[in-house]
Amino acid sequence: MAQTVPFGISAPSAERTRIAAQATSIPWFVWSGIISVSSICFGLYWDISWHMTIGRDTFWTPAHLLIQFGGILAAVTCTYLIFSTTFSHDPAVQSSSVKVWGFRGPIGAFLTAWGGVTMVTSAPFDNWWHNSFGLDVEILSPPHVVLGWGILGVGIGYLVLVVSAKNRATGAVRAKLTWLFLYLAGLGLMLHMILISEYSDARFMHSAVFYRVLMLVTPLLIMGYATASEHKWGATIVASVYMAVELAGLWILPLFAAQPKLGPVYTNVTHMVPMGFPVLLIFPAFAFDLVRARLAGRNKWLLALVAGTAYLLTLILIHWTFGSFMISPLARNWFFGMIYFPYQEPASMHQLAYQFEKYEPTRAAFFQGLGLAWVFAFLSTRVGIAFGGWLLKVRR
Amino acid sequence: MKTNRIAWLVLSILIAEPLAAHIGSPDVFFQGDAGPYHLVVSIRTPQMVPGVAEIQIRSSTPGVKQIKIVPLYIVGEGSKYPPPPDVLLPSKDDPQFFSGKLWLMASGSWQVRVEADGDAGSGTIAVPVPAAARSTMPMQKSLGALLAGLMVLLVAGIVSILGAARREGQLEPGQQAGPTQKRAARFVMAGALMIVAAVLAGGAFWWKTAAANLSNRMIYTAPELFVSLVPGDQMLLRIGDSKWHTRRPDTVATPLMPDHGHLMHLFLIRTPQMDRFYHLHPMPDKGGAFLDDLPPIAAGHYQVFADIVRVSGFPDTLSAQIDIPETTGKPLSGDDSTASAPPISADSQSPKEASGASAKDTGSVKDTKDAQANLISSLPDGTRMIWERAPGPLPANQLLWFKFRLEDTNGKSVANLEPYMGMAGHAEFVRSDLSVFAHVHPDGSVPMAAVQLADATLAKNAAIPASSNPPTTTEMNMPGMATGPIGPEVSFPYGFPKPGLYRIFVQVKYNGRVETGVFDAQVK
Repeated sequence: MAQTVPFGISAPSAERTRIAAQATSIPWFVWSGIISVSSICFGLYWDISWHMTIGRDTFWTPAHLLIQFGGILAAVTCTYLIFSTTFSHDPAVQSSSVKVWGFRGPIGAFLTAWGGVTMVTSAPFDNWWHNSFGLDVEILSPPHVVLGWGILGVGIGYLVLVVSAKNRATGAVRAKLTWLFLYLAGLGLMLHMILISEYSDARFMHSAVFYRVLMLVTPLLIMGYATASEHKWGATIVASVYMAVELAGLWILPLFAAQPKLGPVYTNVTHMVPMGFPVLLIFPAFAFDLVRARLAGRNKWLLALVAGTAYLLTLILIHWTFGSFMISPLARNWFFGMIYFPYQEPASMHQLAYQFEKYEPTRAAFFQGLGLAWVFAFLSTRVGIAFGGWLLKVRR
Repeated sequence: MKTNRIAWLVLSILIAEPLAAHIGSPDVFFQGDAGPYHLVVSIRTPQMVPGVAEIQIRSSTPGVKQIKIVPLYIVGEGSKYPPPPDVLLPSKDDPQFFSGKLWLMASGSWQVRVEADGDAGSGTIAVPVPAAARSTMPMQKSLGALLAGLMVLLVAGIVSILGAARREGQLEPGQQAGPTQKRAARFVMAGALMIVAAVLAGGAFWWKTAAANLSNRMIYTAPELFVSLVPGDQMLLRIGDSKWHTRRPDTVATPLMPDHGHLMHLFLIRTPQMDRFYHLHPMPDKGGAFLDDLPPIAAGHYQVFADIVRVSGFPDTLSAQIDIPETTGKPLSGDDSTASAPPISADSQSPKEASGASAKDTGSVKDTKDAQANLISSLPDGTRMIWERAPGPLPANQLLWFKFRLEDTNGKSVANLEPYMGMAGHAEFVRSDLSVFAHVHPDGSVPMAAVQLADATLAKNAAIPASSNPPTTTEMNMPGMATGPIGPEVSFPYGFPKPGLYRIFVQVKYNGRVETGVFDAQVK
């Protein structure tokens, strides 16, 4: 909690306030953020599985409720933070806040509140969309993107809340906050990976589109979070959190019996269907960490060029081989999950999962796509370095 | 003017009305026996598919304790695994009335399995439900205003937050923002506003494109029907392509199958008076076209409706318009029939008289008066068709029973009607502006060929040996087929989809003749 070191010692007023605003223990809202973002992420994964297994027959599915709980907890936490800061008489609290529309509060609280309002806004929009164009015809619809922006606001808001507390803290508290930040960052990465899951399928791993889509945002997020964490293995940890949560989903959900509730049923599903095996981001993230250590303090454009290139090359090396493995019979087991199909998928289509899709029609288009992926990797990494640098400086 | 004089003068064209299975009449009405229970089923299909339909079932046999429903496709891969059934809720006022919701998650030829359990045991019927998205819903002004307001708030919010983040976010606690920070914050806010504006513009473009693509992909359009007259007093009909259909190869766009023994039921109605009516059955011609030997036809502008059913069980009503000159043609034969009547009129639906005609005769009609609220259609052979209509207005969007009986020349009810194409009767409900056309039977509004397909899947499930060949519908094996003597009353379950003036053509068979009663109905 932003707390209560006595003002007694003779220090300039600003310095006194700075010390006073230091976190000496994990602030309560950090735990709220961990619970809230975890609920949203686990809820979202569960919800997708619910859609693939049972079908959405009501808004009030447990998975939806978990997402809503996360959103409501975030909204309540941040509203309280903003109001308590605005009307606080404690200069330490006031001085570690920013001012928006006459209210005072941590930046992260404002961002999270904004995300909450955006999530709420998406609900009537989504309802109208469903009435007008049908129920869940597609994942990437305009109202779902508004919801995505809202979830992004909540996620980034909490990351900023935690990172600012970390930046103000020292010693053991700072170390703990760094780990909590990395955990939240891993969930943030997972949210993005869910958004692009349509393109991260094994059957695209020999196409440029797989690498192109992955290079757009993942270097930004992983490099940004790693930089902000100041942890030597920050990138590897963030990627590990994402992979661990998705693997847990892949291995745990199928243990629960379930069957489709809405027809037409094309595949006779008997257990919860999980999402696919996660992308092996831990390897390119590891490459990031190695390059970060080697080029620490050097020109940021150079760092972006080398790190981005290493990230892309590692991903290609790993996933070209892994893709071949995933479409082979060796991956058709619970561990790699190439045996699960949503109930909406006709059995006649199952074979397609075991074939590479030639997304680019020509070799030229393929190499063009890879070239574009390299440009994305470079730019995305550079933006990530800047984003991480900004996060590192956040004090309020 | 003779037809052959203008022989290859061809007029085709067609108004593709946005509705499958009939035109403008998407709701399903059906009655049948689920084992020992006689059930009447109404299904209001959703405007957009995937969507939720409303289902209401009434048992006219007492003792039903529970009704469960299961939706699944009639044919194809989606017909193999039925989802677990949903239980309908009984009404508090009427224990034999059940209602609930029905999820139709894709367009296509569905069936709803209805299982009734009760004192007399259990039984199941299969009700075909052709599901097709009809239209998108425009955004209500109030919702639009709310969302626009929220958008302004959110844009202002994020721009202000980013400005505050730049102004004060990196200052140590206790420090005040100086002119440098304030200037930088303004710069960030201006940049953020531009980026948000660009994102919103891109989003708006995407929204528009996505909405247009979805409408294009989802909303049903009937295949075009090209109609022309060819030498020899023949009508050539060619069914055009429809992307909506070809996108659904398994559940919709399958080959045609006979319904009541005919691949196509063709209706010609002279417009705007609706005073001439022909129910014909063109024969398949080369290249997938249909050819009809026209009977004698009175000159005029005609609305063409063509009913077809596919092997998936999915029905289409195709429409077109054509000018037909006075045609000598060939005498009516087979199941073809015709009628003439006075022009459609809002007055003729009052409790007095309507008029009609019979097959193979388009003579004039003579008015008489009925004491009750019944309407009378006097037929050329001296018989009369009586619409036993309850007094009071006819409401739209409600299941109504349309009961008719035939009186012979002595005024006695006829109790020995014959099946007409296997059915006790056929009724066509047509709105005066032609926006509604429904071809209904005593069993309901769904094509009997689709009922037969759905019944076949039921039999399969019940482990009753079923033919491995695709079923073919003939008059001899139609479900709901009338076998013994019919009459004196023939009734049809139907609900008008909207208010307006309707003309109803009711067809029964007596003494080897098809008798067509013509009635007008003002629907409130």
